[in-house]
Amino acid sequence: MKVKVISRSEDEFTRERSQDLQRVFRNFDPSLRTQEKATEYVRALNAAKVEKIFARPFMGAMDGHIDAVSCMAKNPNHLKGIFSGSMDGDIRLWDIASRQTVCQFPGHQGAVRGLTASTDGRILISCGTDCTVRLWNVPVASIMESDDLSDNSAKPLAVYVWKNAFWAVDHQWDGDLFATAGAQVDIWDRNRSAPVNSFEWGHDTVVSVRFNPGEPNVLATSASDRSITLYDLRMSSPARKLIMKTKTNSISWNPMEPMNFTAANEDCNCYSYDARKLDEAKCVHRDHVSAVMDIDFSPTGREFVTGSYDRTVRIFQYNGGHSREVYHTKRMQRVFCVKFSCDATYVISGSDDTNLRLWKAKASEQLGVLLPRERKKQEYLEAVKNRYKHLPEVKRIVRHRHLPKPIYKATALRRTMTEAERRKEERKKAHSAPGSMPTEPLRKRRIIKEVE
Amino acid sequence: MAEKKRKVREESQKKTGRGEKKRKQLLSRILTTENHKKKKNIIKKKSNHKGDRRKTGPRLPNALRKAIDLLNPKPRESDEEIDSDAEVQVKDVYEYEERMPEEESKKNRRFDHVDNLEYELPEEFEDEDLSSEDDDDDDNVKRNDRGDGSNQVEDEEEKENDDRHSRMVQAIIGMQGKAVEELEADPSRAVFDGDGHISIQDLLEPLHGKPGYSKLRKRVQQLEKKSMPLQAPLPKVDREKLDRKAAYEQSKKEITKWEPLVKRNREAPTIYFDEDVNLGFSTVGAIASEFEPRTDFEKKIASVMRDAQVVEAHNQDGSRLLELNKISIEDVKDRQNRLAKMRSLLFRHEMKAKHIKKIKSKTYHRLLKKDKMKAASTERQMDPEAAKEYAMKQEFKRAEERMRLKHKNSSKWAKRILKRGLNAQDEGTRAAISEQLHQHTLLTRKMNSMKDSSSSDEDEDDDEDDMPGTEQDEASKLLTKAKEKTLKVIEEEDEMPQSGVLSLPFMVRGLKKRKEAAYEEAKLVLQEYDSSLKQLEDTDELSSPKVDTSCGRRVFGMAKKNSQESTNKKKSDNIVNNSDSEDDLEPKENVDVEHDKVRALHNDAHIDCDVLRQESGLDPDNVFKSFDDIVRDPGPKTTYEVSIFAPDSSKKMKREKEVNGNGRKPPSAVAPSLRFQNVEEVDRDTDTESGEEMVDGILSSATKPSYELPSQADLIHRAFAGDDVEEEFEKDKLEILNEEVPEPEKPVLLPGWGQWTHIQQKKGLPSWMLEEHENAKKKRGDALKRRKDAHLKHVIISEKIDKKAAKLHTKTLPYPYTSKEVFEQSIRMPIGPEFNPATSVGALNRPEVVKKSGIIIKPIKFEEVNPYDKVEEQKHSGRKQRTKNKGSGGKTINKKIEKKVN
Repeated sequence: MKVKVISRSEDEFTRERSQDLQRVFRNFDPSLRTQEKATEYVRALNAAKVEKIFARPFMGAMDGHIDAVSCMAKNPNHLKGIFSGSMDGDIRLWDIASRQTVCQFPGHQGAVRGLTASTDGRILISCGTDCTVRLWNVPVASIMESDDLSDNSAKPLAVYVWKNAFWAVDHQWDGDLFATAGAQVDIWDRNRSAPVNSFEWGHDTVVSVRFNPGEPNVLATSASDRSITLYDLRMSSPARKLIMKTKTNSISWNPMEPMNFTAANEDCNCYSYDARKLDEAKCVHRDHVSAVMDIDFSPTGREFVTGSYDRTVRIFQYNGGHSREVYHTKRMQRVFCVKFSCDATYVISGSDDTNLRLWKAKASEQLGVLLPRERKKQEYLEAVKNRYKHLPEVKRIVRHRHLPKPIYKATALRRTMTEAERRKEERKKAHSAPGSMPTEPLRKRRIIKEVE
Repeated sequence: MAEKKRKVREESQKKTGRGEKKRKQLLSRILTTENHKKKKNIIKKKSNHKGDRRKTGPRLPNALRKAIDLLNPKPRESDEEIDSDAEVQVKDVYEYEERMPEEESKKNRRFDHVDNLEYELPEEFEDEDLSSEDDDDDDNVKRNDRGDGSNQVEDEEEKENDDRHSRMVQAIIGMQGKAVEELEADPSRAVFDGDGHISIQDLLEPLHGKPGYSKLRKRVQQLEKKSMPLQAPLPKVDREKLDRKAAYEQSKKEITKWEPLVKRNREAPTIYFDEDVNLGFSTVGAIASEFEPRTDFEKKIASVMRDAQVVEAHNQDGSRLLELNKISIEDVKDRQNRLAKMRSLLFRHEMKAKHIKKIKSKTYHRLLKKDKMKAASTERQMDPEAAKEYAMKQEFKRAEERMRLKHKNSSKWAKRILKRGLNAQDEGTRAAISEQLHQHTLLTRKMNSMKDSSSSDEDEDDDEDDMPGTEQDEASKLLTKAKEKTLKVIEEEDEMPQSGVLSLPFMVRGLKKRKEAAYEEAKLVLQEYDSSLKQLEDTDELSSPKVDTSCGRRVFGMAKKNSQESTNKKKSDNIVNNSDSEDDLEPKENVDVEHDKVRALHNDAHIDCDVLRQESGLDPDNVFKSFDDIVRDPGPKTTYEVSIFAPDSSKKMKREKEVNGNGRKPPSAVAPSLRFQNVEEVDRDTDTESGEEMVDGILSSATKPSYELPSQADLIHRAFAGDDVEEEFEKDKLEILNEEVPEPEKPVLLPGWGQWTHIQQKKGLPSWMLEEHENAKKKRGDALKRRKDAHLKHVIISEKIDKKAAKLHTKTLPYPYTSKEVFEQSIRMPIGPEFNPATSVGALNRPEVVKKSGIIIKPIKFEEVNPYDKVEEQKHSGRKQRTKNKGSGGKTINKKIEKKVN
């Protein structure tokens, strides 16, 4: 006779260490658990609420400048360092961790309009309205050694005086070149005193320039003639120009998708383009209520941050039509520059009120070391929330943001205006011959033409 | 470079004769060296010569050419080689056919002139193998004829060997020759052909041997035949435009190479940025080696540690370390002295303690103890902390005592002494025993300092006494108290001695008798109290009955408590007495102890009695005495004293029932009543039984004679004869239907509205109103028909919208999903750790982007990705909650499958 007995190996239920968790055996038969969906829904709801409660994105302000912060540059090799230039010609290196100035770079006579650092983080390049390009040595010293304020100002490695004022500068990724924008686009070698190449296409001032980090020989500029221009250094020639209805203030390439870039436009929107198909934007990111001044992609390539003249900083998904997050404080004025930190965890904004502000990229993220169980739990809550985010209750909580009154009103006004426009268009169409007024999607509507 | 070439060309033009010869040689060579890639360069050079000469060459007379040919024989070595090549070549018809046109094309500027030097023939070289070469040519031509059959070649066939080439060339480029002349006339021509630009021919050259080459070549020739005017250079704008276009195309192409990589990243359920992180130093040793001393202490330590001698000693066997370990003699001495002193001090202390322990004098110890106590008490007084501690200690002792009853003669010693009898003991032992008991009482006594709520009884009573009340109030209080006491005494009577003499039957009988008597008396006394109380109340009624009653009640409660306590005490006393009936001392002690308490408890009782005496004309002495006795007399007798005093009070009242009503029945009274009850119960029981029997009897008697089994339906019908369920249900359903699909309101004319004249009234309701009503009715009918329970007669299916359920539904289909089913599928399976095995939870919950804060993320780096490779989502596979817009349906289905696999 065979006797059936339960046999279990001891390994299954003994712990290796006393700190280990006891193993719990569960029967995963779904018929035994009929309430699991309800449970998870409640969890999602609670997670959404908790997230809202813990959403405290503002980390701190860095004050020290005595004029508006006009530009910033992150140190690609050093997480804590960020450079900022102000309208009075002051350049500072900040230690984000302690939120203090590490070093100052005096020298510019006018406003500093462009800042960038080389990929190895050794050299800082600045340019401004005083028609100079200055190269600086970035001190390796940490905050500890620069306690005495007397010697924390650096001297420039080189000063190149040029013919015209500069508006922007950007350094090539992993190379020696950098590009300045002003009356024309100049390509400089770090080791030469004059530009190695310069491009002029049209006669308008170029206001921003950005190298493609994935494809280091491609760069994009935007000019005051409402154009976005692509250049290819391998062919040492401009490649294509796109003219929109309004000026583009800044451009940022997606570091994970070298063909895509997003342009921060004067018309409150951001437009994501594929550099190969400029006849239509890939995505239009709407939500700002005033001109978008600066844009910077997260190093993950999945989201980007924008700073706007409406005194808010917003974070968008790379393919999201509306912002994921909006940051504002009572004291923050027009935002002129924004940067995503190199580890995609923080956002730094520089504004008219002479301060740099440090924000968390995820408003309710818990900083510091997370234990594995804690991390797993948070991942689970995030997943559950993500799953039920379409249901009205969760959606309401997740989407709710408090906005300053002026912005709220401006949003409403804009909505009314676009709605009115749409209605008018509809009526026009209804009263004209069929097919004579084709509907143009928003993605195309703002583009005037593509110039070869 | 170009200059040089031109020069060379001019030179060659000078010696045209030689060039002519070379041409011949070249022709043969070209005919033979077909696939000879190595020679390609050479050919180029030669043909270049040929081209040069062509400008002037074609016009030489044949005779002259022949002479020149004779003068310039061909180099032998190369010819041989070429011959061999030719032999090889002969077999290849196709190639040959193509070769001919090559030879014929009289293009200048095709080949680099400079390199030609290599093959320049010596002036006086004799061309002996010319004929053989011609043979070759013949063959070639014939084959060419066969293969191509072009007119030019046919024409050539008849010609002589010598001038054949020239003629052929002429035939081909007869027209061109003129053009060339024209060009020569053109002054710009030199510039035109002098430059070293790459021409179309150069570009055509590599296409040799490719199919379609001949066609292409012909077209090129035709183009060249027509002398086209040079186009003016494009304007700068256009040129730049073209440049930009090219650049854009190029960069487009370059960028497109990223596509598979980007696609892979986008489609991956998760992208990881936390991998390949260089954490720097990983081992403790590595970190330690980087350590730099900063503080003074660290520096000092470091200087010692890095002392060369120490390091050396360590590196060797370590024996030298001992030598380095120097200690001064003074240090050692100091230390020894210190240790010796400590040791001696310890020893002395020990000795002293031993000595004290040995002292047997009790007085000494007592004094010692006293001293200690004194010190402790002073300390207590001085230090609140110490006092608190002391209090705690005391409390603990008390608790311990209550638990252990250590001082209650329960020890072996005490038991033995008690057994022997206290009288037999000497004075000291007795004192010790009493001391012990005293200790017990002290320890078990409730302390006032503890703020007991129980001990506040008297205080409350006192307070009540102090309360500004009327005398009558006080009197009534007293009376009630007295009453209480009496009741309590009555209650106490039910305890019967179970053992000893008193448990003997005759004693019991006597006791009973006496008890009954006492009970009677007690009742009488109670009645008296009641009456006097009533009197008081009567007098008091007008003033404040409310207060009175409340007061009375309160007092009653209090008194009751008191009484219970006292009874308890007495009981315990009794027990003590029973167990130690032989000793006199002990009970006395007990009683003494008791006495204190009881006196405290009954202080007011005395007062009561006095007042009572004054108020009611009772015989006060008796009462007073009785109460005093209750308090004072030792244990066993207390209960009976009451009965003794009872007969003296001689007034009787008939209020027995009231007393009973109070619920304080004496046991004797209870017993009969109980019995009665029992009887009653029995009666009742019997009654009910008989009743049931009766019922049974009726039933049986009714059904037995003509019982007919009714049908089920009949039975049901009979059972539910009264109520019509179906109708009720129908009514219910109708109600619900009306509620859910409300009936349209009937059109009514609002009086006064639209009634200017009587016309409207006559017409009645306006037609549109009626129509509307009709429509609404129809709609309702449709709605009712559409209901799920329209055809189900016995069912109501509610179609009310559940508001609570509404929050669990989305209003529209969420964005990435293409159909309802897909969306529902996507949230069907739970993802929590409670519902999934640990192995799959991680994958199910993984976020889209995994990164670590503090790690710099570099831009994307190019790597080859096979686009046809199935995306390896693979290790980390699992959930795919992508925000991407394409094919979400497919993805979710994938997900499902994955889950199943899991």
